[in-house]
Amino acid sequence: MQAEDNNIKANKERIVAFPQMGNIRIPVAAVLKAMGANLYLSPDNNKEALSLGTRHSTETVCLPYKLNLGNYIQALEGGANVLLMFSAPGTCRLGNYAKMAEAKLKELGYEFEFIVFDMYKGKFVEIVKKFSQATGNKSIPNAIKGIKLGLAKFDALDAIERKLFYLRPREIESGTAEKIYLSGRRSIDRADTVEEVKNAIQSTLDKYNSVKIDNNKEILKVHLMGEFFVLLDPFTNMNIEKELGLLGVEVERTIMLSDWTNQTLVPKWNKKTETHRQRAVRTAKKYLTRAVGGECIETVGDAVYAAECNVDGVVHVGPFNCIPEIVSQCILPNVSKQENIPVISLLMDEQTGKAGMVTRIEAFVDLIRRQRKVRKTRIIQRKTMKNSLKTHSRVRIASR
Amino acid sequence: MKIGIPRALGYYNYYPFWFGFFGSLGIEIVLSDKTTKKLVSDGSALVVSETCLPVKIYMGHVLNLLEKKGVDIIYSPSIQSIDHKIYNCSKLRGLPDLVRNVVKKDFLLIEPTLDKSEKNQGLYQYLYESVAPLGITDKKAIKKASKVGWAYQNNFTGMTRDGMHPIEAMETAIKGKVIIKSRKNNYPINIAVLAHGYNLYDNHVSMNIFKKLENLGVKAHVSESLSTEQMNEGLKVLNTNLYWANELEISGAAGSFMTNKNIDGILTLTAFGCGPDSLMVERITRYAKRLQKPLLNLTVDEHTGEAGFITRIEAFTDMLYRKKRANIVQNLNKQIKIDSDRQEVVYSRDTIVKV
Repeated sequence: MQAEDNNIKANKERIVAFPQMGNIRIPVAAVLKAMGANLYLSPDNNKEALSLGTRHSTETVCLPYKLNLGNYIQALEGGANVLLMFSAPGTCRLGNYAKMAEAKLKELGYEFEFIVFDMYKGKFVEIVKKFSQATGNKSIPNAIKGIKLGLAKFDALDAIERKLFYLRPREIESGTAEKIYLSGRRSIDRADTVEEVKNAIQSTLDKYNSVKIDNNKEILKVHLMGEFFVLLDPFTNMNIEKELGLLGVEVERTIMLSDWTNQTLVPKWNKKTETHRQRAVRTAKKYLTRAVGGECIETVGDAVYAAECNVDGVVHVGPFNCIPEIVSQCILPNVSKQENIPVISLLMDEQTGKAGMVTRIEAFVDLIRRQRKVRKTRIIQRKTMKNSLKTHSRVRIASR
Repeated sequence: MKIGIPRALGYYNYYPFWFGFFGSLGIEIVLSDKTTKKLVSDGSALVVSETCLPVKIYMGHVLNLLEKKGVDIIYSPSIQSIDHKIYNCSKLRGLPDLVRNVVKKDFLLIEPTLDKSEKNQGLYQYLYESVAPLGITDKKAIKKASKVGWAYQNNFTGMTRDGMHPIEAMETAIKGKVIIKSRKNNYPINIAVLAHGYNLYDNHVSMNIFKKLENLGVKAHVSESLSTEQMNEGLKVLNTNLYWANELEISGAAGSFMTNKNIDGILTLTAFGCGPDSLMVERITRYAKRLQKPLLNLTVDEHTGEAGFITRIEAFTDMLYRKKRANIVQNLNKQIKIDSDRQEVVYSRDTIVKV
């Protein structure tokens, strides 16, 4: 009995924290809560976390590491004592970050337990095991329930976000769709069962129907692609989706959270459709024949795919000094030229100012808008040419 | 048949092997010129500015081969991984892809892949891919040629382990000779210089660092003089596992040299924007502090001035000299004190006897 009591006590004192990346906090928090963990929810990525992380890391390390480190420091200051981190082989510097962060935090004098999701050892089993280790949860049904709820939330967030991307450039009063999205996100966060999550999606989608949209507006379509973290974290990419949306551009982000979870968690034999990576490997073949780590092949493949989809342009984002993105950045101009699609590369670091970035996006949008007009007028010209030829021939036939 | 090999990146580690291998298959190798300022700026014009210096230089060498040397076949291998899940840096993994997309000229690119994490992408497949585009598909001949290549490579490794400068060793190995000299260590200061071969032995990048150190009376030790076992031990000193394909020559060597009492200081030379190096150097710095070895980290890019470089090396060696002198003086003082103590004792005894 006493031992059990001690166990419970030990569990009660364990406070779990994990690094932030956009919306990922909601589903991950759901999984951990369902498994009975005490959570320290660090705030969304912010300037303070960034400056803390930058102060304690080497200069040329990429932005995601700096932010993660900042999150950890904030969490430890806030009372957390169990930290979670991912580690995967063959990617990029990411595989080193778990060890580096641990060493740095120990050097700073914090005491904590560091749990690394080691992707060297299989995926699904490892995730369940490490979540259980973090939360001290021993019942497997609880774990499965938690993970199911988490996955439902991943899907739900994507569903309402996709609709937001569609509405943002079209709405008449800008900002209404965003408000509905934020309230929907809150209700998804609050939901405790899969049923409640479903209700939250439904009510949000219903509310979206009340948004008045301008059907006559000319909407440009852009694919947003690049490095995983920057793509999914609105603080790091300076809310580029919103900026593009306000300029009248519909954004399609090539990585959604649920795509990624499906890709990493679902075993290979259970995959029915072509995954994102498979598609990228297929489309990138002409430019990049081997995977070189990180999201390089996805970026190049997506750019080619965007050209196949006939969208107006491609926006490529990534952290400064990201090794795989440098490779893709070198390759993209060639893709742009050969496939005839405009590409802009925006690399973020802690010094990037928002105003400069917005200016660049505006210029890019202006360019693709003009190009679209040129293309349209060309098509019209061709049509009129054809028509006039037809009438000419008819006239000729008549004169005969 | 002529193939062009850029005098950059892998050249500094594997050239003797390539020389033997291609030579025995009757393929002539054309090397690009040594790195010059113009070559670097030509190369940097092709890729985005954030790309690391060695890759920019590599592109410059490819251009040099195509424009000046009249070669229309370029050999550019992709070394994906050297062991199970021990991968290289992305830029080296995608090197041929980079060349294909960036160099807009008409040429045949031979792009073999070595990937030990995959089942069918081992050494012989790699070698087969190296010569198949040239019309050589006889697997027996390739195996034989590979043995010849290894003979050259082993001679080269043997000489570097003995302490010969790798460029000198390469020249000797290519002549088919093995020279083992007897060396006496008469230098007052010993420094371990840690860097990837393509940075250290390219005199344009490292700005003749060996000569500069020699002039200051410093003996430079390099990772090529260590055995793989020593470097593996070194990794354990730094409390880490092998993650990058070329981590041994930096982290491993650092660990090994840090525990070596004859080494007075450590100098690391990294290219700006090198991803793996930034992490390795961070770890080395932490452990150098713990093990109390002086450490100087030099970062180079295409704009680095030579004057600043020299000043920092001089300051570092001055500091090492001072430290060594102080140590010697301290030891002498201790010795003198011990001696004088002993004399006093002897003296007092004498007095006792006298009394």
